Amino acid sequence: MKWSIDISGTLSPLGILAAMMQKPNTIAYPAVKKETAVGYRGFHTNLLVDCIGCANCQDVCMNDAIDMIKTDKEYNVKNSSQCIPRIDYGRCCWCSLCTDVCPPDSLKLDEEYLGVTQYASDFLYMPKDK
Amino acid sequence: METNKHITIFHGPQHPGITGNMSVELDLIGETIQKATTHVGYLHRGFEKLVERRTVIQAFTIVCRICVPEPDPNEANFAMAVEELAGIEVSERVKYIRVMVLELSRLASQCMWLAGQSGSIGLYAVGQWAIADRDLILDLFEELTGGRVYHMYIYPGGVRRDLPDGFLRRLEKVLNHFKKRLKEYDNIFINNASFKSRAIGVGIVSPEECIKNGYVGQVLRGCGIEADVRKDAPYLVYDQLDFEVPTAQGGDVYARALVRRAEMDQSIHILEQVIDKMPEGEIMVKMPTHRKFKLPKNDTWVKVESSRGEFAYYMAGDGSEKIRRMQVRGPSLVHAFTLLEDLLVGAELSDVALIMNSLGICPPEIER
Repeated sequence: MKWSIDISGTLSPLGILAAMMQKPNTIAYPAVKKETAVGYRGFHTNLLVDCIGCANCQDVCMNDAIDMIKTDKEYNVKNSSQCIPRIDYGRCCWCSLCTDVCPPDSLKLDEEYLGVTQYASDFLYMPKDK
Repeated sequence: METNKHITIFHGPQHPGITGNMSVELDLIGETIQKATTHVGYLHRGFEKLVERRTVIQAFTIVCRICVPEPDPNEANFAMAVEELAGIEVSERVKYIRVMVLELSRLASQCMWLAGQSGSIGLYAVGQWAIADRDLILDLFEELTGGRVYHMYIYPGGVRRDLPDGFLRRLEKVLNHFKKRLKEYDNIFINNASFKSRAIGVGIVSPEECIKNGYVGQVLRGCGIEADVRKDAPYLVYDQLDFEVPTAQGGDVYARALVRRAEMDQSIHILEQVIDKMPEGEIMVKMPTHRKFKLPKNDTWVKVESSRGEFAYYMAGDGSEKIRRMQVRGPSLVHAFTLLEDLLVGAELSDVALIMNSLGICPPEIER
């Protein structure tokens, strides 16, 4: 049996030792937080003074994740139905089609994306008014 | 089977060396595989039928889920098929942006392969580096599309957002990082004696088999056959860009690795040209609302080159707002059944993950 040693193939991986001098790629979360990009598709927001309750968002949602919920208060005089969208985050896929079809541009996706809850009912999310 | 001689084990679906939610049933004598049977069905969601039940615009958000590590070829195929059926012509800028997204996605997917392939032989540091480098591309995607993994960006009629200010400059910076990094990958992985000793002569495919069974991508190019949809049937603006189709000889795991590594160089080269040539223009043609957008009665077949090989869509419209039929033809089905089952016979148990990773199998794409 003939033995042969690939000298360059054996020595070249040792270059990895230089990485010990480099800074780590990871960040010390949660002390350091990564900045989310502008335009990130996170949680929904809905500017209620602009929302006209047209239900275009509900119509385009391919996951049936949006329900129109009746409100007690009149936020916008043009919203004759007094209905505003509520998102089911158990179904939503954050495709952002709902925000694309919003005529007054009141429904948007925010950079916020962290949500922790122990209640399943919290998945029915009422977008923040902003 | 003779008692106490054969052993049957399942490799996957929870095994870290498996390329997703699928499993391979292995009949072994000692460490040598006598028979391999691929099992899928762990994540069947019926994408093709889900698409047919929704309007064209609604369906566009589903297709990216057909392949998790590389969603963009699906989006591009879907958009190009709809545009061809509906007679929509997109601007030159859109074409360049789409090429940029597709090449970035190819680069990110090759990083995933690098991580999987190196992890399959125990070189975990390479894998961690590759995933960290992939994150740089995901950061760019986050900025451009609003999503890191599922981009939902290439829309029928254009792209959903224009490039943010300074995006091309940041892209250039990432590409410069990659150019330096790829040399390090060569030293610690591609030229590594332990990888060579494990990969050379393992999982050999012949060019005749490739042609006969319809293998694509690196499997085909690893046998020395120069075949790439970007050259053979150019789409978008690939005919205006200068790039080569890398090939290698041998048809084994190492040849496929060399092809993938060379493709990363080519992707960077293409992206640099895109940065230089990016034209001004509209990013979206005016589209009707999703209830009014109707697909004419016609059918089409479009294909792109994904990071794992030819990726094709058949689409038929019937004059309604829904797609009558959509069929996805990716490289994974034929690679995971016809090819993998053949290659594993006679291989060692420790080579299963190595061979599987080299084929670029993506289970959700098998179970579309």
